[in-house]
Amino acid sequence: MTTATQQHNPDAVIDPDAAVVGHPKRPFKRYFRETGWRHLVGIAMSIFAAFPLLYVFSASLNPGGTLVTANSLFSNFSFQSYVDLFNRPQQPYAAWFGNTLLIGGISSLGTVFLGALAAYAFSRMRFIGRRVGLLTLLLVQMFPQLLAVVAIFLLLSGISEIFPAIGLNSQIGLIMVYLGGALGVNTYLMYGFFNTVPSSIDEAAKIDGAGHARIFFTIILRLVAPILAVVGLLSFVGTTSEFVIASIVLIDPDKQTLAVGLYQFVSQEFSRNWSIFAAGAVLAAIPVMTLFLFLQKYIVGGLTAGSVK
Amino acid sequence: MTTSPQTDPGPLRQSARSKRATRIADAASGGWKVVAAKILGLGVVDAIAIYALFVLVRSESWLVAGLVAAVTLLVNWIYFSRGKLPAKYLAPGLIFLAIFQIFVLLYSGYIAFTNYGTGHNSTKEDAVNALLLSSQNRVEDSPSYKLTVLEQLGEISFLVTEPDGSVSIGGNERPLEDVRNAQLEGGVAVGLNGYTSLGFQDIIAKQTEIAAISVPLTDDPNDGMLRTPDGSSAFLYTSSLEYDEAAGTMRDTNSGTVYSDIGTGAFTSDAGQELLPGWKIDVGFDNFIRAFSEESIRGPLISVTVWTFAFAFLSVFTTFALGLFLAIVFNDKRMKSRKYYRIIMILPYAFPGFLSALVWAGMMNQEFGFINTVLLGGAEVPWLTNEWLAKGSVLFVNLWLGFPYMFLVTTGALQAIPEELTEAATVDGAKPWAIFRFVKLPLLLVSVAPLLISSFAFNFNNFNLIYMLTNGGPRDVSAGVNVGATDILISMVYKVAFVGANRDYGLASAFAIIIFILVAGISIISFRRTKSLEELN
Amino acid sequence: MKVTKRGLWAVGALTVTASLVLTGCTAASDTTDSAAGNGGSLTVWVDADRASVLKDAAADFTAETGVEVKLVQKEFGDIRDQFVAQVPTGKGPDIVIGAHDWLGTFVTNGVVAPVELGDKADDFQAVGVTAMSYEGQVYGVPYSIENIALVRNTALAPSTPATFDEMVTMGEAAGTEYPFLVGLDPEAADPYHLYPFQTSFGAPVFGTDADGSYDAEALEIGNAGGDEFAAWLAEQGAAGVLNTNITGDLAKEKFVAGEAPFYLTGPWNVPAAVEAGIDVAIDPIPSAGGEDAQPFVGVQGFFVSAKSENALAANEFIVNYMGSEEVQTALFEVGGRAPALTASFEAASADPIVAGFGTVGENAVPMPSIPAMGAVWEFWGVTEAAIINGGDPTSLWQKMSGDIQTAIAG
Repeated sequence: MTTATQQHNPDAVIDPDAAVVGHPKRPFKRYFRETGWRHLVGIAMSIFAAFPLLYVFSASLNPGGTLVTANSLFSNFSFQSYVDLFNRPQQPYAAWFGNTLLIGGISSLGTVFLGALAAYAFSRMRFIGRRVGLLTLLLVQMFPQLLAVVAIFLLLSGISEIFPAIGLNSQIGLIMVYLGGALGVNTYLMYGFFNTVPSSIDEAAKIDGAGHARIFFTIILRLVAPILAVVGLLSFVGTTSEFVIASIVLIDPDKQTLAVGLYQFVSQEFSRNWSIFAAGAVLAAIPVMTLFLFLQKYIVGGLTAGSVK
Repeated sequence: MTTSPQTDPGPLRQSARSKRATRIADAASGGWKVVAAKILGLGVVDAIAIYALFVLVRSESWLVAGLVAAVTLLVNWIYFSRGKLPAKYLAPGLIFLAIFQIFVLLYSGYIAFTNYGTGHNSTKEDAVNALLLSSQNRVEDSPSYKLTVLEQLGEISFLVTEPDGSVSIGGNERPLEDVRNAQLEGGVAVGLNGYTSLGFQDIIAKQTEIAAISVPLTDDPNDGMLRTPDGSSAFLYTSSLEYDEAAGTMRDTNSGTVYSDIGTGAFTSDAGQELLPGWKIDVGFDNFIRAFSEESIRGPLISVTVWTFAFAFLSVFTTFALGLFLAIVFNDKRMKSRKYYRIIMILPYAFPGFLSALVWAGMMNQEFGFINTVLLGGAEVPWLTNEWLAKGSVLFVNLWLGFPYMFLVTTGALQAIPEELTEAATVDGAKPWAIFRFVKLPLLLVSVAPLLISSFAFNFNNFNLIYMLTNGGPRDVSAGVNVGATDILISMVYKVAFVGANRDYGLASAFAIIIFILVAGISIISFRRTKSLEELN
Repeated sequence: MKVTKRGLWAVGALTVTASLVLTGCTAASDTTDSAAGNGGSLTVWVDADRASVLKDAAADFTAETGVEVKLVQKEFGDIRDQFVAQVPTGKGPDIVIGAHDWLGTFVTNGVVAPVELGDKADDFQAVGVTAMSYEGQVYGVPYSIENIALVRNTALAPSTPATFDEMVTMGEAAGTEYPFLVGLDPEAADPYHLYPFQTSFGAPVFGTDADGSYDAEALEIGNAGGDEFAAWLAEQGAAGVLNTNITGDLAKEKFVAGEAPFYLTGPWNVPAAVEAGIDVAIDPIPSAGGEDAQPFVGVQGFFVSAKSENALAANEFIVNYMGSEEVQTALFEVGGRAPALTASFEAASADPIVAGFGTVGENAVPMPSIPAMGAVWEFWGVTEAAIINGGDPTSLWQKMSGDIQTAIAG
């Protein structure tokens, strides 16, 4: 894969710039040079990306089957597992789904907000400890999390004694834990992007009498929408797939998230239910896909190209 | 964000005076929302803090109360005073960071200096309690007594009926005495004049008290004590351990061996035998010394370290290269249905990682896997059981898992590069590769270089992938250590510190700190280099 | 002007603060009021499978005694470590469900309290109580007993084989793709499933001391029988009877598809075969080395926390209630796991599959729960896999035995 990437890389850059205007009727050769080969890459990569997941999908249609059937994909075609998924009182899938959307949604909004605030400060203001602070943010996240579970349990059980509503077995508590990771890599990603927005824009706004808050909320945030969307998506995926901390914090089944709940279907060594698990995973992927579909226009909408002038 | 009637800057030249007027108007009209939000936000924070202080002061947790008070004051000071702009923007995120990340880090750091782990799990008090509990041995061939719990003037007594029908009464430190006039029901004494018989509900309400009662059988304590596990039956126990609180020693009543606290976190006999459970103590740098002297670590250390670096570096390189390549390929406006390709690209990212790892392990099965049977027409390539192929497979699966992340990030970052730049370069006659290499890539790296470093650190500690896909294997069984070809440092640490169900958290933390210092050092050095990148801007 | 503005802020913030504190306090006092005046409650950690089974039993117990039982659903694999970590904080549960081989960890960490079965001890199957004991002390109430046995597809093999070789011959005669299936791992084989063959050569892992518990000092795995077993593994590996590429999932799939007459597995994989229309019989595990083939038995049961503040209620619940015949039978009817209480087991034995596994289980030994077992697992499976895949049996086996010895000595 690596070699293929390197061979293709030069072409990747040759084309977008070589051809300036596309004619309505392009000869095939030209079509291929401009966009055709991109479709080839797209198709090849789609197979690479999606193929292993066909096994998951196939398993979800084969109740009682195993995950990796010996290469007989789609030998069965039954939606029973999907029906069963919603009919297990001890494993309330629908509730998990809702919780995941809620927790993932709030955490990612919070992460974007906190991260953007910090990135703005780092990018636009000069203060003592700025560089060290930036570096520390990144370093903190590099600590091996072997004991995180024990520490977070202690912390939340301490919080529970003061505020039961935001301690153990509370979704707010879990969201707060996730927000603890809001600064970090995300801040960096935004910081880098903020830096590409010329500070002349701020200056102009300042001269026009806008305060810092106004500049930030109404001007800068719009300009950096692509990266906000990326960070939002990354943190949504991150929180929805996280299950180590979630399984410690959330105790009642109907408060748990998809990642925690789904794992229960297969954690029992001798009574794994791959089919229902696969069905659950397929459905769980839908919110992520939908969110990406929705955010894509912000990510690649070219907002910056139009307004940074 | 949407309502901003005043942002439209009039093209008219304004005098300083009218500008000031605008500013005031601005603060008065648009600003009130900000002020309201600020008041509400601070109010909520202060309310939470004051409530927390009440609870903390009542439970006399002075240190935590002090911290809460200090942080609250600081927050109020930051937002009520003028200026402090950076602090105003940073404070919310930093508070969460401090509570939920720094605390975890400090806690792990502290554990490295203790013997916390299996057998040293709690306080000395708990250990004594657990030892005494499990040293209660039921006297062999002793009968089981039917029990009725009685109460008289707040004092609990046990009314017991032996299998032969004889009835007696006793209490804590009061040996059993025979009773003649008990009320019987089916041969079992259920009540006694002058006493109240406790029903199950009453027993449950006083269960802590009742569970602690031990009634001596006779005047001689060596004959054993009656205790009840459930409130309805009593059994005769002798204890094989005796705790001398004054001397702080445990004595084995059968052998007479004395176990004393010699500062190792467990009661130890003169012969060196330990009674477990012990308790948690501070051990200074012992864990760090062990981390460096541990035989099972030292042997494979070099090869594992080399592989960890190779794995982390190659993982970042391959995922970034593929992600960037795809981002560029799909970043051409003329290309149709890019939207759908993009969605498929992030599929691997949307499924739980361990599920994908299991699927890949199945597909790579030597005899039945899809790759060998279908793609390679029945070849028997040992993808996961040959040392080098396994390393390659791990990298390959990690590429599959990781490229969507890089694809997303670079797609986002590419938007920051103005097309004018490339256009200008093209006009100047630059070759496309040169444009990419000298214009786009450096600009891109400004924003993604820190991410690459952090991705390096993530993969350096990518325990989950290794654990799920190969569990470190394949192993050379003749090597005699539980470390395999694909083990990285963190998975090796896991295997050394957590054997079976034994957990040595102290040792694991010490390793975590050592690895952290290593990764952080590399990152800081790499940052020095990106600093020069940043100044490009 | 600015001063007044900021003054306004402060007043506003104070108002918000005050009102929130007031509501907070009233809310808090409400909750304390409702929590008070309760008889008692038990927190029980169970996994999802057992939660549904225990739900009714718990409700009945509450109805009978007034003690509230709060079932907390946990992942089975997480229960052990979380119990060990949380009991010392005082936040742990009163009761957990668990496997008997966790007991060593629990006792070493001082997180479980002994349980007195009293006269009830004799009502349970002996192996269940032995498994729930550690150093002579009983710590749990057994609830179900599970072990592996030979599952036979009666359409492909009409009679019970007496020895391993006879089974392979019968399997080959059946003309199916595989004579015999057992799920192994390419890297770590599966010592649990291969153990009955190992014992049939007279090579248990540990010897036992006077009171019948396993003795970490007496490592037996490397004895002469062990070498014979290793040689046998190499032979079966070369012949293709044992194949490490057939994983647990593949073995199940192939047996269900009727591709083999014999399958070494536990009761958990039988329903899939029955549903697929295969007529199965449960046979004793055929001996490979001449002696009895003794599989490991896994016992699941209930443990009480050493720091439970509801010890009496907890004991009442697990010993007198969960240990009663009605409840154990009811648990079997919902969960399908063979009961540990003899009377309930006999009732459950009306099902030939339960009876079949039970017969094999009479011969079984509890999986060691001593902490030294961790060191054994580290080396055991990979060595078996290496031997099956063509490694030199004797030297690898002896190397493994030596490595385990070193690791235990620590």
